[in-house]
Amino acid sequence: MKAMLSLIAAALVAVALPSMAADLPDLKGRTIVAVTENAYTPLNFADPKTGQGIGWEYDAMNEIGKRLDAKIDWKQSSWDVMIQAVHDGQYDVGMDGITINDERKAQVDFSDPYMTSQEYMLVRADNTEIKDPASFKADPKLLIGAQAGTTNFYTAVDILGGDDKNPRIKLFDTFGASVQALKTGDVDLVLMDGASANGYMGANPGAFKIVGQPIGSDQFGFILKKGSDLLAPINAAIASMKADGTLDALNKKWFFDYMSKL
Amino acid sequence: MNQPKRRRRTEIPWWLLATVLLGLLISWSIVADQGYREIFLALSGGILTTLWVTLVAFGLALALGLVVVMARRSRLRLLRELATFYVEIVRGIPVLVVLFYVAFVGAPWLVDAVNFVIGPLIGRGWVPSLSIRTLDFTGRAILALMICYSSFIAEIFRAGLEAVPVGQAEAAKSLGLPRWITFRKVVAPQALRTILPPLGNDFVSMVKDSALVSALGVQDITQLGKVYSSGTFKFFETYNVVAFLYLVMTVSLSLIVRYVEHRLSRSGAR
Repeated sequence: MKAMLSLIAAALVAVALPSMAADLPDLKGRTIVAVTENAYTPLNFADPKTGQGIGWEYDAMNEIGKRLDAKIDWKQSSWDVMIQAVHDGQYDVGMDGITINDERKAQVDFSDPYMTSQEYMLVRADNTEIKDPASFKADPKLLIGAQAGTTNFYTAVDILGGDDKNPRIKLFDTFGASVQALKTGDVDLVLMDGASANGYMGANPGAFKIVGQPIGSDQFGFILKKGSDLLAPINAAIASMKADGTLDALNKKWFFDYMSKL
Repeated sequence: MNQPKRRRRTEIPWWLLATVLLGLLISWSIVADQGYREIFLALSGGILTTLWVTLVAFGLALALGLVVVMARRSRLRLLRELATFYVEIVRGIPVLVVLFYVAFVGAPWLVDAVNFVIGPLIGRGWVPSLSIRTLDFTGRAILALMICYSSFIAEIFRAGLEAVPVGQAEAAKSLGLPRWITFRKVVAPQALRTILPPLGNDFVSMVKDSALVSALGVQDITQLGKVYSSGTFKFFETYNVVAFLYLVMTVSLSLIVRYVEHRLSRSGAR
């Protein structure tokens, strides 16, 4: 069944490609310098076997390059400095599951959104108190772990009523550190995409569980230097990939097929 | 006089045995355990980067530190003031902060400055103008570490030089030795004995501080650990290997430093 679906998706892509390519801008072999961190499974991460960067965003950007006749030159930077580096023009386009928001729009241009975040609530397996965002908010003793300036941080701020200085939000540098703090009991809740939540549950059997419904609000976009001439072509490519089902096929490939293999 | 020295040499260094044992244990689990072996292989790509960043940055910091200390001991007041200003400012800023400054403020300035200097050549089309992309994050991280450590190293040099009694240089002068020979044959060898131990310590701490370059995404051991742990969700196992790799480097370095120190103090006693 799964194989069938991906076959159909692949066939759709193949059929859609030639007809679409005609309408898209042609960058005539130009090189696009793309940057990511490889620390956000399954959007961008290093293949544990080979160390090669792979993931949803790699596939999407490479496909965009193919459709626009551009060569993608992949670089790595840390998430902390990515927006600044793209702002300075060191890289043409950056991606790391970056939530589109107004503060960032002042620094960089965003492409059209290519994904809506789905944040799951990960708690310790023995926790019975937290059932949904409201029950978490209700008890002031409960703490949430998040990474500064990330989607899960903004969602945490939303859940707790909009104050980004709320002392109930404990900040960590990486997902791994937040999850470790959840395990040791320093925090009671960590928000993350379903793929990561499944990954951490698999790596720590019996330690965690997911509660409630996924919280989806934030949208991810590629970031580009302000006024970049690549914005329009990339948006056109995203639109064509949305229309022909390529993005859906990527969601299936990375969020379901890949993660279920882990 | 000889008695305590001999006893010290026969004393069994238990800490060293414990360290070696721990190292062997972890090495064994890396060899025997599939999971640890994979982590080790994934992180080993960062070893060269860490070593490269450390060695180049430390070498440059030594050179810059030497320049700074020469300026600080110069007969020109302006140079002395400038050098002191530099040391005090740089020493007072955390390495991580300097790293960000160099990466996003210093590097663009540097590129602009170089372009300005070689402007005539660019104008004639002899050389292409530099873009900010020419100086990658690894280069900027090295520059930042160089700046931070040069101020510490300059202070170490200064302390070493000032520890040599003034009488030594005065005696050499009264014997008619030229300034340069006095420095090379009389002051420098004596200063070296004071300088080497803290310099060795700085080198070891540079190995550790090189981990800060991961904040820019330079693919050193620490950054590869971050990347690997987020891809496999094995947080602690990964950092065990990260710690092990750094320990192998730092412990063997401090053993070398000890050895050199020992050699020098013996030659000093003679």
